Amino acid sequence: MTSRQFQLLLLLLLAGAVVTSACVGAFMFTPGEAGHYLLQGLGLQPATPGVDDLARNVFLKLRLPRVVLAGVTGAVLGVSGTLMQGLFRNPIVEPGLAGTSAGAALGAALVFVLGEHTTLAFTAPLGSLAVPLMAFAGGFGATMIVYRVSAAFGKVDVFTLLLAGIAVNAVCAAGTGFLSYIARDPQARNITFWNLGTFTTAEWRGVTLVSVCFVAGFAWCLRYGKALNALMLGESEANFLGIDTRRLTWSLLVVNTIMVAVATAMVGVIAFIGLVVPHVLRMLRSSDYAFLLPASALLGALVMELVDVVARVVIAPAELPIGIITAVVGAPVFLLILLRQRRVSGF
Amino acid sequence: MVELRDVSYAAARARIVDDVSLALPDGKFSVILGPNGAGKSTVLKLATGLLRPTSGAVHYGGDDIRTLPLEALARRRAVLSQHVELAFTLPAEDVVLMGRYPYYGRVPSQEDREIVRRALEIVGMSERRAQPYPTLSGGEQQKVQLARVLAQIWNYDTPRTPRFLFLDEPTTSLDVRYEIHLLDVARGLLGVDCTVVAILHDINVALHYGDHFVFLSGGRVAASVDAAGVTQPLLEEVFRVRAHRVQDATTGDQLWRFAL
Repeated sequence: MTSRQFQLLLLLLLAGAVVTSACVGAFMFTPGEAGHYLLQGLGLQPATPGVDDLARNVFLKLRLPRVVLAGVTGAVLGVSGTLMQGLFRNPIVEPGLAGTSAGAALGAALVFVLGEHTTLAFTAPLGSLAVPLMAFAGGFGATMIVYRVSAAFGKVDVFTLLLAGIAVNAVCAAGTGFLSYIARDPQARNITFWNLGTFTTAEWRGVTLVSVCFVAGFAWCLRYGKALNALMLGESEANFLGIDTRRLTWSLLVVNTIMVAVATAMVGVIAFIGLVVPHVLRMLRSSDYAFLLPASALLGALVMELVDVVARVVIAPAELPIGIITAVVGAPVFLLILLRQRRVSGF
Repeated sequence: MVELRDVSYAAARARIVDDVSLALPDGKFSVILGPNGAGKSTVLKLATGLLRPTSGAVHYGGDDIRTLPLEALARRRAVLSQHVELAFTLPAEDVVLMGRYPYYGRVPSQEDREIVRRALEIVGMSERRAQPYPTLSGGEQQKVQLARVLAQIWNYDTPRTPRFLFLDEPTTSLDVRYEIHLLDVARGLLGVDCTVVAILHDINVALHYGDHFVFLSGGRVAASVDAAGVTQPLLEEVFRVRAHRVQDATTGDQLWRFAL
């Protein structure tokens, strides 16, 4: 199987997962109904008022944005894991570990709780640009601290990286915890839920912003396949191959943080997807970033759709927070990677 | 020609390289020699553009290195380091293909692939081309890196343009067979309009392969000479040892022996 065929296979699986995710839930739709509602929603098919109004509304206003949000968030986290592993030259890095998600969450929570419009509801967290901007600032600050501490002298130290990640995550979590403690009750409950990741807040405006940031960021990153490969040799060697490593580092950190922060502001902190997705792809196929970048977007989206379906189904009619499922699956994989790394390099 | 003009480099207020002027002749194998801490590595980093001089300038064939975009510079010169580890697993040929990165956009051309194939052939790693790089032995890994830099400054086909290969103690972790092989391949590049500049530790090896010798001491150039200029007083002064010549009974080669 060539890389292209492999990506095509992922695309087909993703299409299947999207259809499943669109149909399954508290409200069940057949794929046929879902198709009709979609066409009606796009105005391509006339909708008869009074017929199926409720079902159509549920599908177009609740289900569909949620499906899109889950897919795009998964793609963001998959690509982000790939980018950060490339940048840090280490397979254990992902936005959760490097502080990006926690920093973004803290930034967003600051606006939620202390922002001028304290009535700012969680159901429309992206109604104001203050939230994504603060999320970006928080995520970028946290990531920069972890990067600067661990990547001094042109080499990334694994121990320092892990410890710096723990420290930065702890500070961010403490900040978010403090905010939820002082927040009024509905906000506090929401922060707790959102700390574990949720797609229940999906609405079209927010989904559009997350999607636009992802598409733009992803298109920008695709050009860095070669550069990330060369970086595997180390910064000096990449430089000898004509790659401006400083520029590469900065643009990747910025673009990566934009994608992750905006998604995090919308859905909360979802760990381990960015770790597992690139790892599976490296094992199944190749560590070539020209392949990994598009493939991790596809697999990230695929995994997230499936996780969301599980979250909706497993204790229906209630829902599990997304982060609980990703942690249960992701943490063992993380330990496995650590073990393998230890066997190889004995760090 | 690679030229360093009045180059100095200071870090944390210490002058590591102090007013060095050098002209490394085209089509020759130049060797940089000197005791530990003499500034050899720093001079190489300055000459390859990895470091910017605090003062002075570096020129490639008359062009100031500061005016050359990184990618254009990468098409003119390649650097083989002591030991290169790979952070993730890639097959050997993918590592060699990196040498062609300065030449293509997103997809390598047929020509790039062909150059990779021939570079692997030159270093004798064709059969291992699909093997994961981390599973190769240290010597084999260095051969793959050699193939990578060959692909980067590929000059075996006409038309040729002057190219430069820098070797930073390339044989330090290699056994004698790999060492000879690597230096033979490097020496062979002189025939295709390439200039080779190497940091080597073994003076006898240096004299065997080199045409031109730069001795550094305390961040300054102690001597820049051809083989005839490598004399007993020079070696004794630069390395602060006693040196004497012996003749190999079978080959008749002149070899240097050292003692404290």
